[in-house]
Parts: sequence; structure tokens; C-alpha cells
Amino acid sequence: MINSVRNTVLAIANKNNYGYISPQDFNLYAQQAQMDLFEDYFYQYNAWTNKENQRLSGSGYADIVKGLVEVIDSFSVTRSLAQQGANLFNLPSDYYLINKVNYFPTQITSGTSTAAGVNTLTDTAATFVSSGVKVGQQVVNTTASSSYSGFSAFVISVDSETQLTLSYSPFGVAATIGNSYGIFNTTGIVEVERVNQNKIFYLNNSPLTAPSTGFPAYVLGGATTSVVGDANTGQLGNTITVYPTTITNNGSVTAEYIRYPLSPKWTYQTLSSGEPLFDINQADYQDFELPSSDEPGIVAKICQYIGIEIREGDVYQFGKQEEVQNNQIQT
Amino acid sequence: MAYINDYAYYANSGAIPQDKNWGSYQYVSLNDIVNNFMLMYQGNHELINNLNRYQVLFHAKRGIQELNYDAMKEVKVLQMDLDDNLRFILPSDYVNWVRISQYLNGVLYPLTENIQTGWASTYLQDNNAKIIYDQDGNVLKPQFSQLDMSFTSGAKTIYLNESSAYNNQSGWNVDGCWYFDFGIGARFGLNTETANANPTFSIDKQRGVINFSSIGNGASVVVEYVSDGMENGEDGSISVNKLFEEYLYAYVKYSLLNGRLGVQEYIVNRARKDKSSLLRNAKIRLSNIHPGRLLMSLRGQDKWLK
Repeated sequence: MINSVRNTVLAIANKNNYGYISPQDFNLYAQQAQMDLFEDYFYQYNAWTNKENQRLSGSGYADIVKGLVEVIDSFSVTRSLAQQGANLFNLPSDYYLINKVNYFPTQITSGTSTAAGVNTLTDTAATFVSSGVKVGQQVVNTTASSSYSGFSAFVISVDSETQLTLSYSPFGVAATIGNSYGIFNTTGIVEVERVNQNKIFYLNNSPLTAPSTGFPAYVLGGATTSVVGDANTGQLGNTITVYPTTITNNGSVTAEYIRYPLSPKWTYQTLSSGEPLFDINQADYQDFELPSSDEPGIVAKICQYIGIEIREGDVYQFGKQEEVQNNQIQT
Repeated sequence: MAYINDYAYYANSGAIPQDKNWGSYQYVSLNDIVNNFMLMYQGNHELINNLNRYQVLFHAKRGIQELNYDAMKEVKVLQMDLDDNLRFILPSDYVNWVRISQYLNGVLYPLTENIQTGWASTYLQDNNAKIIYDQDGNVLKPQFSQLDMSFTSGAKTIYLNESSAYNNQSGWNVDGCWYFDFGIGARFGLNTETANANPTFSIDKQRGVINFSSIGNGASVVVEYVSDGMENGEDGSISVNKLFEEYLYAYVKYSLLNGRLGVQEYIVNRARKDKSSLLRNAKIRLSNIHPGRLLMSLRGQDKWLK
């Protein structure tokens, strides 16, 4: 979609070869446009939910909320949270909002992988069968320094005392040796409830509602200096403090969250007639993550930015009008 | 789909204790109540939204407590021997008592609550009955009052049992009639409230003990009591009879709506009526009136009363 968007934008902005936009500028505007539309989904979701309650939205093809939820859900990610210490866990650096935090109370076993393999876990020191590892249980990468930290997979088969076949490679394909892991039972999972900082004191001191392993709670905290941020973005993730304080098992707390969309990147390698030639095979290529139906909206947004860049009021106005019309149709 | 299979029900899947799941189908757990409420009664299209789970948990527990106090018949029974002070320490989850009995020679003897107090606080006093204070001006208190000590050492009572004040008193037999120094024969009728030969008890709620009189130390006492169903704070063990499940949802819903800002009064009223009628229904169900039981009672209708 990104090449189509760029071509459309260039076509709109082109005026006697005056409206050329460099790939670098386009990528910047594309990122802004995508983020703008991404955030708009949540406001639209709220607005349409209210309309549904007023019987202003129907079911079937008229179910607008359903479509919005589908898009938002496509950004949903589940990750185990790296333990920073005791009951303090790091949130992922790419989260937009935390949807749910879950606690896996029963750890079956833990250890360190000793051999590489795709969709397998090998640990020569393990006793998977004797420890009670069974099909369907969850294997979590608990190595905080690993780029795959928090990734998880399900046990597909218990091959031997020392080897499991997994649904995924939670350690990555290349670096499966030396990563620590934990295996957790997938029954009895409980949701960890978000509680505001100003309530947690009262909650902890309430005999009836004090957090327990059956009804745990967490408070969101700011990033601490020792939180490892995303190497690419430099963002620092926030932390959560889980209650009761006995929840200290690394890998036992997972988050289901909505992540930010990845930054779109229109890539090229060669020039053709002085023009960069679109190359989808570059390592840093990234298409828009929003659905194709958002293409007009993205084009309109980028046109606004470009209109400002090239000081072309018509382009800006066109983008603005398109956006307004689009909003009117959607509401 | 069954909740648990037969092997899990009858034999706890081979684990110990084997009787863990017997009768479990009567109950629904607190976890399920909270989970079901969050799933079915709160959300963007429900009466209640933007709800914290701990609010549901609080009201669900409060509802279960209320049920335990006055609607459910979940009586707990604890048997213990009395200590040297003739005291029975109240069970850790005690809220109110139902019946207290002495277990003697294989028979349960229901005991009567003593209408007189069996304990008192007291202050230290000098020979002139002046109260004694410490250097900070606070009154000095002994651990036990005279009444406390007399009760534990077999105080006389007004009950017509072994500790009666009149027991073993001398009298005179003149021409076949007994005469005493006190007015035992001068009163017509019998004070049935105190006419009980069994030992008596009184409950000292503040100290958390049941005091007994005219009973031997080491006596075996059975206390039937009601708790609040909180299972000593073990959330995972809290459950409620399924007959009350719908009532609990209604109770939580009403409690939440009642405390919310901007909820129309007719909605609160609807929730309140729901709650009340469901409680009534559940009580009727739990009373377990059915033809078999009625028949047994009605069979006594032709009995001659002498």
C-alpha cells in the first residue's frame, strides 16, 4: 500500500516538477499520518459505542464498531513481562495501551536452553516428563537481555525428558542456546486488575478486597532508569507493580496490549532516470499497518503535511477537505 | 459438558483427600460469581460499565456475608474440650452461635445460655474502696475480676443444677414435710427460664470466649455456629449455594447502581425489587418444602393430645 500512497501523493502534489517529495520526507509524513489515523480509531470506537447504545448503529454490515474492533485487535500483542525485581515488572516499550494483564499461578518447571532448533526447546538438564510438562502448557522466554524476551509458545508435544516441540520459537531461531525459560500451566489463569495509584493503599488495607493470588491487582508506574528500552526507538517502557507482593515469579505475568503501529518506510536501492526506484526487498521496508480502506485518509493527511512543506495552499486545502468529508461520512 | 468428570468427583482424580469434591455441585464459587458478573452484567451495552473488578468482589463478598447471617443454613460445628478456666475459645470464623451442647457419654445435651453475666471488668481498689491509679493517672486493672474467677471456679447460679445456690443446703423434715431457711417452698410455680439441670454458658464476645458454669474442666463441648462465609480470607474457598446465585448477581447489581451517580431512581428501584424477590425465592427454595416432608408432618395431625 505504501507505494500506492506515495505515487498518489506525488501525483497530487506534482506541479511542473515542483511538488517532488523526497523518500525521507515522505516516510516522516507517512508515520505522522498513520499515527493520527491509528489514534482516531479509539475515539471512533468510543463514539460509535455510544451511538450503538442510542440505536444509531445496526448489526450485520451496519455494525461499525465491529470493523473498528477488528482493526484495533490487529495490533493486539501478548507478551510475558520481564521481571525487574520482586513484584516489579517491565512493560513492553511499544505498548499504546494495556488491555489485560494476566497471572499464571502455576509454574511447572524452568531452566536454560542448551541447543538451537526451530520450534523446539532442548535442555539437557531438564526432566520435562517427570516434572509434569504436558501438551498445551506455555513456554516463556525469561531472559531479560534477549531481544525475544517475553515471547512465548505452547507445548505441541513432549518428545523426551529433555526436548519439547513448540508452536513457535520463543528464543528466536538463531539464538536458542543459553536462554532461560519457564513453563507454566495454562489453567487457573487470573486477570491482574489495574488499580489507580490513589486507590491501591485502600485496596491493600481492605480485608474484603485486598489483592490475592485469586484476585491480583497492579498499579502502573513510570519507567525506572534501569528499565531496558527498545533499542530501535529508545523509548523506555513503564513498569507495573503487582499485588500481592508474593507474585514474584519471572514469566508468570503476561500482558495483552495494543502496540503502536510500526513506522512505515518506503525503501529504494537504485535510481531510475534520477528517480528512486521502489524496492520492497530492503531489510528496513515497512508497509502501512492500517487497512487498505484507510488509504484515502492517509493520502489526505500526507497531503496536508506536504502542502505546508511546499507552501502550496491548494494541496493543504485538498487534504483538509478530504479529511473533513471522510469524517462526515464516517459519522 | 460436565464441570468435572465422575472420577474427579468421586475420587478427586486419585488425589488426597478423596472426598474433596463430594457435594461440590451444590455450590458456585466466588471466582465464578465475579467472573460471570464481569462478563454478563457490565460492559459498554449493559446497565453498568467502567467498573473495577474489586468493586464487584467487594459487593459479592458482602452479599455472601449477608446470606450467611440470615438466609443460608450453613451451620458450622466445632467440638473442643474445655480448658482449666472452663472456657471455650470462639472459633476463628465465629459470627454468631446457633446451639451449644455438652457431649457426655455419647449424648449431646443442649445447654442453656445463662441470663446472668459471667464476666466483668474491674479496677484495683484499696481497703477503702478507693480506685488506684498509676503514675500516668490511668486506672489500674487486674486481669480478672472476682466474677471472672468465681465463674471459672464453679460459682453458684440461680439455675436448678449442681451449682444452684440451694444445692446441698440443709433442711428439716417435720411430719413428712421439708422446711428450709430460705423460701424455696414459698414460691408458687417454677421459673422455667432457670429450671434447667444442665450446665449453663455465657458468651464473652469482647474476650472471644464462651464461659461455662457447673461443668467439669476437660468437658467436651460442641458449638454450632454461623460464620460469614469468608473462609478465613481464602478467596478460592469461598462459595455459595447455587440457589442463591441469581440473588447474588442481583445484589451486586443493585449495590453498584445504588451507589452510582446519575442512575435514574426507577432503575435503582427495579434492581432493588429484583434483589428482594430473588432473595425471597431463594429462601423458599432452600426451605425445601416438598410433599414428602409435608406428609411426615401431617401424619401427626390425628394424634391425641392428653
